[in-house]
Amino acid sequence: MHFFNVIKWIAWKDLLSELRNRENISSMFFFALIVILIFSFSFSLDPKSTHELMPGIIWIAFGFTGIIGLGKSFLAEVHNDCMEYFQIVPAPKGAIYLGKFSGNVLFMLIVEIILFPLFILFFNLDVLEKIPMILLIFVAATIGLSALGTLFSALTVQIRAREVMFPILLLPMAVPIFIGAVEATRGVFSGDPLSMYVDWIKLLVVFDGIFMVVSFWVFEFILDY
Amino acid sequence: MVISRLIARLQRYEGWFGVAAGLLIMVGLYMGLVTSSPDYYQGEVVRIMYIHVPAAQSAMFAYTVLFGGSIWYLWKRDPIVDNMSHAAAGIGVFFTLIALITGSIWAKPTWNTWWTWDPRLISFTIMLLILVGYLMLRTFLEDKEKEATYGAILAIVGFIDLPIIHFSVEWWRTLHQPLSISTRGVSIASDMLIPLLLMSIGFYLLFTYMLMVRTQMLYLERLLEAKRGRMLSKVHV
Repeated sequence: MHFFNVIKWIAWKDLLSELRNRENISSMFFFALIVILIFSFSFSLDPKSTHELMPGIIWIAFGFTGIIGLGKSFLAEVHNDCMEYFQIVPAPKGAIYLGKFSGNVLFMLIVEIILFPLFILFFNLDVLEKIPMILLIFVAATIGLSALGTLFSALTVQIRAREVMFPILLLPMAVPIFIGAVEATRGVFSGDPLSMYVDWIKLLVVFDGIFMVVSFWVFEFILDY
Repeated sequence: MVISRLIARLQRYEGWFGVAAGLLIMVGLYMGLVTSSPDYYQGEVVRIMYIHVPAAQSAMFAYTVLFGGSIWYLWKRDPIVDNMSHAAAGIGVFFTLIALITGSIWAKPTWNTWWTWDPRLISFTIMLLILVGYLMLRTFLEDKEKEATYGAILAIVGFIDLPIIHFSVEWWRTLHQPLSISTRGVSIASDMLIPLLLMSIGFYLLFTYMLMVRTQMLYLERLLEAKRGRMLSKVHV
């Protein structure tokens, strides 16, 4: 099969099955909502501290949501005995990775885009002209999180302590994404000029590139077993 | 298998590595703690450096061995090299902990705090987390070959991540406030350099010795498991 067709069909399959049962997206969405609510209780946010804390809260919410969603990414394949099909299908293994990865990026972005208006509402943000920049940061950070998350999901899906191991492996390695995303978001919301935080966006893009290449290369070895 | 033969040959002399490490560390400790002069700025506190710096170096060396061994394993599928990587990770945790704890003890009188969010401290702590994650992942996998492969994948991704973590943390600190602690450009006095060098070499040798012993232990454990499995199958069949 053609490389890009494999990516397209796997992402399409994930999207279709998700649209039919809405299991992942709804659990991700409600989980993130709860995280936001708990933060607003625990910090008793006033307008002044909101600006200081908000970028961190956004990315903790999205990071934990990612753990819920990305961790389950390969679960359906295991439950339906599809891992074996992935092993024998005459398609490049890297394309299978990129297909699952694209599906994950899509789900996380959908959840983030649904949640973002709620952030604006809850935290009284003034964002209208900042939306393109925010979207760019969301996309860049989501790609990095999903690149690592898809790899570790495949790595942990077949072991006993999957729910524990997935965040233990993902979160330490995702530290640069969280730093970059939080700092860039803070830059946008405090109205800094682009030159002040553009380095963080660059870091995110570089990180995305490195981890997509490495994961693409090592994914083949995971499917071998 | 070049590497297996090299490991086997080194293992023949493993006792000598232990003896040499012990001697060097004893001499280095004596020189460092007794004959070397206290630091101009830090006074006697500086002596913890003779443990702290070699431990940190050995920890990073352990991670490099783990990385190299992992790539080699994915390439050649040599189980002895996997044993070595597995051993290196465990010893790496040990040296990383020593480096973090001694660093913390040194920081209390010097910076007046046990912990500060310095790039090196953060990246070292994350290295510890990655190593522990690696060891945990391995304990949860039953199939030996799968264990080795998944571990190798994790180690490679983690090793590539470390410099990125270090630089992102460094930027994160420096963009917002000037570094409160910067490395002083003062060159080190020779009566401090010699014990430090002795301790460094001693710790590297100690690491090699521990690596050899632990690799052999893991090999024997695996052998025992295989034999036990064979015996069980004989009983049941």
